[in-house]
Amino acid sequence: MDYQKLKRRPSYPFETIGVALAFSPRLEGVLGEAWKLALAFDSQLLLMHIGERTRNKESKLDELVERLGIDEQKVRIIWSEGDPVTTLLDLCKLNIVDLLVLGAMRKENMLRFYLGSVARSVSRKAKCSVLLLTEPKAEGTVFKKLVVNSVESPKTIHTINTAIYFAEHICSKDIVVATEVHQPGLAMTMAGDSTAGEASKIKREFTDEEANRMHAIVTRCRKQGDIEITEKIIKGKPGFAIRQFAETKKADLLVINSPDVKYGLIDRIFTHDMEYILEDLPCNVLIVHSRVS
Amino acid sequence: MAKLTHSDLITLLLAISTMLILSRILAEFGKRWKLPVVMGELLVGILLGPTILGTFAPEISTLLFPLKTNANVSIALDGIFSLSVIMLLFVAGMEVQLTTVLRQGRAAISTGLGSMILPFATGFGLAWYFPQWFDCEPGSQNHFLFALFMGTAMSISALPVIARILMDMNLFRTSIGMIIIASAMFNDLVGWLIFSFILSVGGMGGDKGDVGYTILYILAFGAFMLFIGRRIIDRVLPWIQTRLSWPGGVLSMCLGLCLLCAAFTESIHIHAILGSFIAGIAIGDSVHLREQAREIIHQFVTNFFAPLFFVSIGLKVNFIEHFDLFIVSVVLIVAFVGKVLGAGIGARLGGLSRRNAIAVGFGLNARGAMEIILGTLAFEAGLITQPVFVALVVMALITSIASGPLMRRFVDEVAVPNARA
Repeated sequence: MDYQKLKRRPSYPFETIGVALAFSPRLEGVLGEAWKLALAFDSQLLLMHIGERTRNKESKLDELVERLGIDEQKVRIIWSEGDPVTTLLDLCKLNIVDLLVLGAMRKENMLRFYLGSVARSVSRKAKCSVLLLTEPKAEGTVFKKLVVNSVESPKTIHTINTAIYFAEHICSKDIVVATEVHQPGLAMTMAGDSTAGEASKIKREFTDEEANRMHAIVTRCRKQGDIEITEKIIKGKPGFAIRQFAETKKADLLVINSPDVKYGLIDRIFTHDMEYILEDLPCNVLIVHSRVS
Repeated sequence: MAKLTHSDLITLLLAISTMLILSRILAEFGKRWKLPVVMGELLVGILLGPTILGTFAPEISTLLFPLKTNANVSIALDGIFSLSVIMLLFVAGMEVQLTTVLRQGRAAISTGLGSMILPFATGFGLAWYFPQWFDCEPGSQNHFLFALFMGTAMSISALPVIARILMDMNLFRTSIGMIIIASAMFNDLVGWLIFSFILSVGGMGGDKGDVGYTILYILAFGAFMLFIGRRIIDRVLPWIQTRLSWPGGVLSMCLGLCLLCAAFTESIHIHAILGSFIAGIAIGDSVHLREQAREIIHQFVTNFFAPLFFVSIGLKVNFIEHFDLFIVSVVLIVAFVGKVLGAGIGARLGGLSRRNAIAVGFGLNARGAMEIILGTLAFEAGLITQPVFVALVVMALITSIASGPLMRRFVDEVAVPNARA
């Protein structure tokens, strides 16, 4: 496999959209969503099923492709067997998938979450961007309101640019870029010897610093037409605060960076960052893998 | 029911108000020279206790603090001091956020391990091979526990002091600052677990625990609170904060849970501090605990219980009589060498530059209030002598004062701006 092609490949455009087919009751929804996206982004569609290839499944898929009006010229189907997560990830790398579309439950039961469902495991490990759809519809979701999480990372600018690219192609006009302010140890540090004025000054400085940092990133982004970008500071633990914000804002899509490190069981037990979002998806989630070194 | 008499109550209230007012005045003076608050509080105890007032005007000292002459007041104060240390460990636990350690990744883990292992080894080795220096009988029952204690005492860090230094140096939110904070959290967690084990096995309060059972109890309690208790708290806190009076409801429940856990660990022959410390971690780590509630708890404990506890130290020990230059020097050297080298090597392995790694070492070298609490408990448990206790207090103060200036000499310019965690 020539994985070198993947290195430094930009996170957009989405030339190839991959779809994991599970033949669950949500199959039609996931397939319909993926097709709408492929049309919007003018992408090739790669349908992947990890599991036994049966006549029944083939006829069901053919029937769906026909019903949804999917252009067979723009679709490739791969049947493969093996461990669903690793096989799916390998297929994505091999076929240079830019966006992998998966259906995902909003909330997994506790055991399933800790053991790791396919959608969540792929989200943690994928080397391409992943779109988790909580309520996939055959007619396609309208992504009106996008919330982008701006964290201090070189990846963030690519994530915001990807969100703009996404918004541009699905005709969304409303993007909120939100950054979380959280400082462990601050309450303790100021408890003993800070006056009320000093304490509020320190807090204000922290917030201003974050706001300036976010603004600097947003000004460097590629602006597109009439897409309106709003900047917002939110307080709370990273991951959890943005999850709550997306929920309160009734966002249609939450866009976040891919994790910098490999997440394991310990990260699920002592939940942090992206794990807060995977624990309870507030809406559809786009995890942008920007492939910066 | 035994009651305090009219005069006992007046004496008790006078003692508490004297401790609170004087320690605040000295702390505010100390602030001008950027000295830690704990130094002012300790100084009040030294001034009012046997070291100064007890030597020059013993009748006034006894009148204010009749610890040896009035059993009722003495017991009441002892109860308040015990409650103070429990509350102090509770707020220390509230700031140990395990997710912060995980977020910092490799650098924090290797720095945290380095700043534990080498100081522990040097402290343990010193006490194990030279027990006679510290008035500990070689081969005695206490010898091993004393060595374990010295190892722990050398490896602990003081998160509040470190955080303050980082804030003053404008490093609080940089990557190097967060590595130091995360490592100090790691040090605190492991250090207090080991210390609880030492106190339990050593039989503080006359009840010695079996080594195997003690380890099992500590691990079982810790695991229960951190894996299950934390989840339950996470579920219940939003309900408490929205349905009960604010902030009264959440404060009562948090402090109540802290005391409940403290009572539980004390009842299974592990010291009460472990219960309150772990309760602090479980509550403080919750995403639902509002910042305002966290601040109120911190303010209440830091400005009421902390002065009482730290002043009480000076009331119990004569710092001049028990000052032994040799012990102080040895403890200081071992503390500096072990911590700076250990944390420095850990930080270097974690990918920091040489200068930043040394700066991290000096940053984590601040022992502050945590060391003093540790020393006091060990002293009260009969694990260490008065000269060793005095040496630990001096070491805690010197390392805290020296930490900032020494860090400043080594930290790279590039670490200051735009190098956020």
